[in-house]
Amino acid sequence: MSRADLASGQVIRMSLLFRVQHLVLTVLLLILAVTGFSLMYHDNALAQAIIRLEGGVHNRGIVHRIAAVLLMANVAHHLFYMLLSREGKREFQDLIIGRRDIDDFLQSLRYNIGAAAEYPLFGKYGYKEKFQYWGASVGTVLISITGFMLWAEEFSMRLFPKFVLDLALVVHGYQGLLAFVILFFWHLYNVHLHPSVFPMNPSWITGKVSAEWLRREHPLEYEKLKEEGLL
Amino acid sequence: MRRHHLAAAVIAAAVLFAAGNALAATPGVGECMDCHGDKTIEKSLPDGKTLSLYVDLQEYRQSVHGGTSCVTCHADAKAPHDKLGKVSCSKCHGDAEKSYAGSAHGKKLRTKEASGVPGCDGCHGRHDIRKVKDPASRVFRLNIVATCLACHKDRALEARYHHLPDQKLIAAYEQSVHGLASKKAGLTGSAVCSDCHGNHGILPADEPKSATHRQNIPTMCGKCHAGILEQYEKSVHGKGMRGGIADSPVCTDCHGEHTIVRASDPSSPVNLRNIPRTCSGCHEKEGITSRYALPKKRFSSYMDTFHGIAVEYGMTKAANCASCHGVHDILPSSDPASSVNRANLQKTCGKCHPNASPNFAKGVVHVEVSPKKAMGVFAVRLFYTIFISALVILFVLHVGLELYGRWTRRRAGAQSGKEGKP
Repeated sequence: MSRADLASGQVIRMSLLFRVQHLVLTVLLLILAVTGFSLMYHDNALAQAIIRLEGGVHNRGIVHRIAAVLLMANVAHHLFYMLLSREGKREFQDLIIGRRDIDDFLQSLRYNIGAAAEYPLFGKYGYKEKFQYWGASVGTVLISITGFMLWAEEFSMRLFPKFVLDLALVVHGYQGLLAFVILFFWHLYNVHLHPSVFPMNPSWITGKVSAEWLRREHPLEYEKLKEEGLL
Repeated sequence: MRRHHLAAAVIAAAVLFAAGNALAATPGVGECMDCHGDKTIEKSLPDGKTLSLYVDLQEYRQSVHGGTSCVTCHADAKAPHDKLGKVSCSKCHGDAEKSYAGSAHGKKLRTKEASGVPGCDGCHGRHDIRKVKDPASRVFRLNIVATCLACHKDRALEARYHHLPDQKLIAAYEQSVHGLASKKAGLTGSAVCSDCHGNHGILPADEPKSATHRQNIPTMCGKCHAGILEQYEKSVHGKGMRGGIADSPVCTDCHGEHTIVRASDPSSPVNLRNIPRTCSGCHEKEGITSRYALPKKRFSSYMDTFHGIAVEYGMTKAANCASCHGVHDILPSSDPASSVNRANLQKTCGKCHPNASPNFAKGVVHVEVSPKKAMGVFAVRLFYTIFISALVILFVLHVGLELYGRWTRRRAGAQSGKEGKP
């Protein structure tokens, strides 16, 4: 955090590395969604047009698998970074789900219907962010495993009965749909439409948020930074 | 001696007289040609047109009947003569005449409004009739299509006789695999009109005795495609057909008839890309699957597999119906000899997937997703559908609640004049 940032009330929320990981993830997920859903909904005229645009089912598959491998590389890099680097370890601590998150969630509900006086105080990541992060993580693992099973079908056929592959196909498709739903209804709302950030939380590009926003939305993190003398 | 001379003279006179009479009554070819050899000889018809009465002697001499005489057919001809009676071929060709009389052409010819309906001469010609095996014959194998199409491609004729099949459909034969084989490749072994429809006894396909009636089609095609017929007879379709099940497919149901093209032609119903649609023409039809208790959703369940999607988009390497079920030799999966019998599945899948284990082949293949047929897939699908729907509803509720909370606090804050928590 430079002095200029602090002077203008800006706080770093996403380091450059995380911004790159996030951007790579965004692009790859979009490619995977377009190539994947066009196959899942191949009866649909739009899906058929997309498949033709991608050069047929064969090429579509190649694009999908290249994107998938890159995505898994991105996720693997993220995993190692989170477990091994100093910055990653700190972030990981902030992301662990505890009893407190459930309490925060319930309190926010009570607060919104007027049954509680105080809105819960969040650290760097509140229950919304943690739900998003861990939901995406579990989803990625599931969709990667099933994806590999379907990709290496000759290998899978040796190991599994056919119904396992049938299930893998269903899980792969619906897990994709689930990820898509979470991203659109949850993530995009929280980072674009939520009144505190509308029209956009800029941190995914600039990496920075205003100190005032942090004080209001993540007061515990604000206090922590202040104690550490970073604000 | 004198008496002898007299008797001889009387006999000679009588013979000469009789001979003279006979010559006047039955003219020889030469005498006929005195008039009919003239290229300008013609007769006026009531409608003002003229009919040439010229007979090309050379053509006649080269014809199969060239060794006979005019009066063999024109028995009532004298020289000179008025309008002659109709020529009947039945005197010599009794069998042909008899089977022709029962044919569609024969029956039509006997009706009053008949015009343009071919009699013997319509196909065989008149003075120039040649042997069937003579390449110059109108009914030679390579010429017969042109002879039939001379009428059956005629739109005016189609309009006059409403029961005639569509001339476009018939003419499609010319571009068919059979048509091209005879016309382009000049093969005499390729099917021409008469091979399927018969010749003198030709009947419309809706008459049970017709060679092209549904129940006769396999036998008819099997005349040439004997090996295929043998397979078909053993198949579930062949047995069904022979068992009197009219819905059971015969050759033409899958291959087409006049439009038959090679299976490698993209327009063929049995082209690799088109097979799923062709089979599902029956196997996706509610009436047929219910009536014969066949598994349902054959097409849609196939189309939801990688095989189905790949074939739909032109990756014909992927399995179509025939890849697993067979072609002419299709058997129900309950038959131990069937390629999709449980015991044979590993081998069948193994044609493309050599690693398929006995374990792999245990599963069910493209069945409708119902608790009875595919519980696992059904349950997982149901779980995800409910889970995703519930999640969307909860997201929307959460967002609504949050906005509602902010809005009420802000209003309360504004009313009390204090800064409400945003």
